[in-house]
Amino acid sequence: MGTSAIALLRVSGGDGAKVAQNIFGTTPPPRVAQHGDYHERGGGLIDDVLFTFFRGPHSYTGEDSLEISCHGNPFIAQKILEDLIARGCRLAEPGEFTKRAFLNGRMDLSQAEAVMDLISARSERALAAANRQLRGSLGKQMGALVDRLLGVIVRVEAYIDFPEEDLPPEDRGFFLRELSSLASDTDRLLATSHYGELLRDGIKTVIVGAPNVGKSSLLNRLVGRERALVSPEPGTTRDFIEERILVGPHCLRIIDTAGLNPSPAPLEKLGMEKTVECIEEADLLLVVLDSNDLCASVPHELNNDAARDKSLIILNKNDLIHNNSTVRQFPYVPHGISVSALTGSGIETLVEAISAHADRFRDGNDEESVAINARHSSALKISRDCLNAALIKLDVNTPMELLASDLRQILAAYGEIVGKVNNEEMLDRLFSTFCIGK
Amino acid sequence: MFQFDVIVCGAGHAGVEAALAASRVGASTLLLTGNIDTIAQMSCNPAIGGQAKGQIVREIDALGGEMAINADLTGIQFRLLNETKGLAVQSPRAQCDKKAYQFRLKHTLELQPNLQIFQATVTKLIFDQGKVVGCKTNLDLDFYCRTLVVTTGTFLRGLMHIGQNKNEGGRLGDFAAKTLSQSLLDAGIELRRLKTGTPPRLLGRTLNFNKMAEQKGDTVPTFFAFHDTRQSGDLFHVERTDENRLGWRPGCEQVSCWMTYTTPETADIVRSNLHLSALYGGHIEGVGPRYCPSIEDKFVRFSDKPRHLLFLEPEGRTTNEFYVNGLSTSLPFVTQHKMIRSVPGLESAEILRPAYAVEYDFAPPTQLFPSLESKKVENLFFAGQINGTSGYEEAAAQGLVAGVNAANKVRNAAPLIIKRHEGYIGVLIDDLVSKGTNEPYRMFTSRAEHRLLFNHGSAELRLIEHAVDQGLLTYNRIDKIRSKQNRILQWVDRLEQNRNNGSTWGEIIRREGIQTSLPEEFKKESKPIRDETLYRVSYQGYLMREHRQVEKLSQIEKIKLNSDFNYMSISGLRKESAQKLSEIKPMTLGQASRISGVSPADISILMVWVESGRGLRAQ
Ligand SMILES: Nc1nc2c(ncn2[C@@H]2O[C@H](COP(=O)(O)OP(=O)(O)OP(=O)(O)O)[C@@H](O)[C@H]2O)c(=O)[nH]1
Ligand SMILES: [Mg+2]
Repeated sequence: MGTSAIALLRVSGGDGAKVAQNIFGTTPPPRVAQHGDYHERGGGLIDDVLFTFFRGPHSYTGEDSLEISCHGNPFIAQKILEDLIARGCRLAEPGEFTKRAFLNGRMDLSQAEAVMDLISARSERALAAANRQLRGSLGKQMGALVDRLLGVIVRVEAYIDFPEEDLPPEDRGFFLRELSSLASDTDRLLATSHYGELLRDGIKTVIVGAPNVGKSSLLNRLVGRERALVSPEPGTTRDFIEERILVGPHCLRIIDTAGLNPSPAPLEKLGMEKTVECIEEADLLLVVLDSNDLCASVPHELNNDAARDKSLIILNKNDLIHNNSTVRQFPYVPHGISVSALTGSGIETLVEAISAHADRFRDGNDEESVAINARHSSALKISRDCLNAALIKLDVNTPMELLASDLRQILAAYGEIVGKVNNEEMLDRLFSTFCIGK
Repeated sequence: MFQFDVIVCGAGHAGVEAALAASRVGASTLLLTGNIDTIAQMSCNPAIGGQAKGQIVREIDALGGEMAINADLTGIQFRLLNETKGLAVQSPRAQCDKKAYQFRLKHTLELQPNLQIFQATVTKLIFDQGKVVGCKTNLDLDFYCRTLVVTTGTFLRGLMHIGQNKNEGGRLGDFAAKTLSQSLLDAGIELRRLKTGTPPRLLGRTLNFNKMAEQKGDTVPTFFAFHDTRQSGDLFHVERTDENRLGWRPGCEQVSCWMTYTTPETADIVRSNLHLSALYGGHIEGVGPRYCPSIEDKFVRFSDKPRHLLFLEPEGRTTNEFYVNGLSTSLPFVTQHKMIRSVPGLESAEILRPAYAVEYDFAPPTQLFPSLESKKVENLFFAGQINGTSGYEEAAAQGLVAGVNAANKVRNAAPLIIKRHEGYIGVLIDDLVSKGTNEPYRMFTSRAEHRLLFNHGSAELRLIEHAVDQGLLTYNRIDKIRSKQNRILQWVDRLEQNRNNGSTWGEIIRREGIQTSLPEEFKKESKPIRDETLYRVSYQGYLMREHRQVEKLSQIEKIKLNSDFNYMSISGLRKESAQKLSEIKPMTLGQASRISGVSPADISILMVWVESGRGLRAQ
């Protein structure tokens, strides 16, 4: 999976300055790039980013805008995007920025045609991407939802539009059943499977091991830069350090922890408790041992089935062994992967092993069924709200026309994902379901 | 030479409204009809209104049309449909006395200043340099005009089928307009075929009503016309109160309809004779409506349904003829006879007129501007069934709009165009000219995206500005509507602000429903004011949602497109969209967005194009 080193997100429109104020706590001076931590609304750190504020009309679109450069990992970009939406932004339509730039006079007339070509190319690409996805299982699942929703809508509409017909008696129980099951299916899609979360948040990968075995060095090696402080002193790392990386098609949320000391000092103990918690929540454990330590063994915190199942054993500092021709035997850890965080040897094998392990999460999960993006989830959230509203109405016997109004909103929201369902299709379904007409 | 501002060809429900509207706004108008005795004939069932159509009729009244008042004055049974489904989808419906309906309308036309009626069949249109300038008739008399409205219903090459039997004509007992189609084709107008059907008519004294269920009218009838905003002086347009043209007071002495069901025997008769049906025998090329299936269709497509509901509707007070609603067919007469007699209550029924299917030419309405003027021939307007619609109400609504616009064209005034969020008439015409139709188009409430705004009682308030702009109502009535509107707005405010036991009245109404006990002063208001106020208060949240959506869409509705755009030359536009757009020639970006096959990206490109054009002009 290719990915650019830096992803650029652009917020354009009236509230650009306010959004910056909201996220970073300051309205930066125009056109000056600033460093800042992007915290999501819940408070969690997503990434450290560069952000630049542009005051209209001196911006690409001619409006106030805020540009955020984050790491080129699509999942980080996706997370930030979702957060921006939660803050009230709206996803741009294909080519919308260019269109706005044009409409705000930021481009001259000679560029107009190029703009239009761009819009159609982009929308074509977006369409192709969407189609790819919709041919897959997301498309099938959404198709089934639309189909069942139509089944409810045509009944409601038939009762409204053909009151004089000899229709089967109004069955609120049917509506209730169908709508609740649509609600739970929508929920299921919305929450996405665990794999979906892994895709969006990254596979939680925790580096654990005794102090000084080279955990932080390994993190730095995997990330490709000096992210964590490294020192010959045991106990260097006190707090978790988190980074995101791509391994093959997988996004890893990789966490460096404080060393697990068999006999910790009271202060260390606190940090270790947190580490143990982190171990429990992990999807993957990278257990680091020092290959030069003859007595090395897996820390006892990891000596249980649950932990063993998600562990990869890494024998670090193999660069120090080569002086000694004898290959070390580790009676307790037969399957260790021999690496050197210092020189990078063996890292490729490790990455492959990580990737293979991560693949396991995908088994049984159709890749596409859960690749719900920000656009999808905002549409599904709207449909979920309307489903709730409709269910309440059924409960209190609200007039059909108001129920119908909610159902239409749901259909429109589903339509955002699978394409608009026009009224003719609804009528077709209605007339093929009921014998109507005098 | 006979010269008029506007000529209307055809005096059905569309033609009548077109002629009245044109002459009422001041155009000298000629109404031509093949037979003056069949003016405003109800060719199918003797009823006006019903779902969505009832709202259309009230909108027609709000625009000064005649259908509402005519139905009120000749109605013999009134019912408000959908009372339990919600306030917006309630629709008035009336059974009318077929003959009284016609005669009253004929009389109204006769009394209308500026309007001349003449009996002659139009054989040909006269064109001059791509414009219509008049028409020729079977009497070898030519008539000339500035604009012309074609409202020929099912008469263009009308062909009726009863089993294998075929007769030319637009309606049983009537002629077909055979040469006019050619004249339209010569002018470059595309024609296609549609089909519709009508059930048999029975002799009432041969029916056994004891075996049927009675359906009575409402004790408090709901009328179509907004009587509360009229004064005796403008109540009936051209009538005066001292004129007594009616045999009865509206809503009194209502008559009943009757319900019965087909039997398994009926089904057997239909199934074993299917091959004799014009429809199933393959004799009909036109497309019939999905919503009005023939009895053949019902038994074939819904074979699991054991029986089908039939209504017997009286055709008038002074006739014993009954209409069998639900039994439209093109089976041979002998089969019809057997079939009828297999139904409880109809065992010895005598058929007065057989059921038949009729095929006719229509001009696909995508060839029209939203003003209903042809894009191919200037000054030529189309309204009613020739545009592919079905139903008296749909026809009348188009007739009214086409009539006003034909007159407006003569005096160089802007056309009357009702928007989709303003009423069913807006939805109707926008659907027709932007999407076209493959079957006889009938209005359903579900076709309106803003259905909740279209409660029947608000028609006058929704359309008042159009009525004022076009001069369709008397000053007196306009004042009344405006003060009614103010009253409602004041009451909505008061109910939302004044409190009772801690809650505002609005909150109480939304919590407890409109049956809740309300301020004494409010109860003194007239029913139309109370109803509309309560409607707005109880649906407050929904109406706000609708208005927000309307607001969101209005942006692109405001962007005008030139009808002579060369879409093919616009870079980036997909070829198929460009073709669609050149064919439909949308008037606004909003209309363009509703054309099937035109994508949001295409709309963005058009927006850029429009803006760039504006930029050019500014320089
Ligand atoms: N030769 C060699 N030295 C290494 C290797 N990996 C780490 N080191 C060194 O080992 C020491 C400890 O490394 P860290 O990465 O800080 O170890 P740690 O496990 O994070 O230690 P704590 O955070 O204190 O638990 C540093 O001096 C590193 O330079 C390796 O593969 N080979
Ligand atoms: Mg460390």
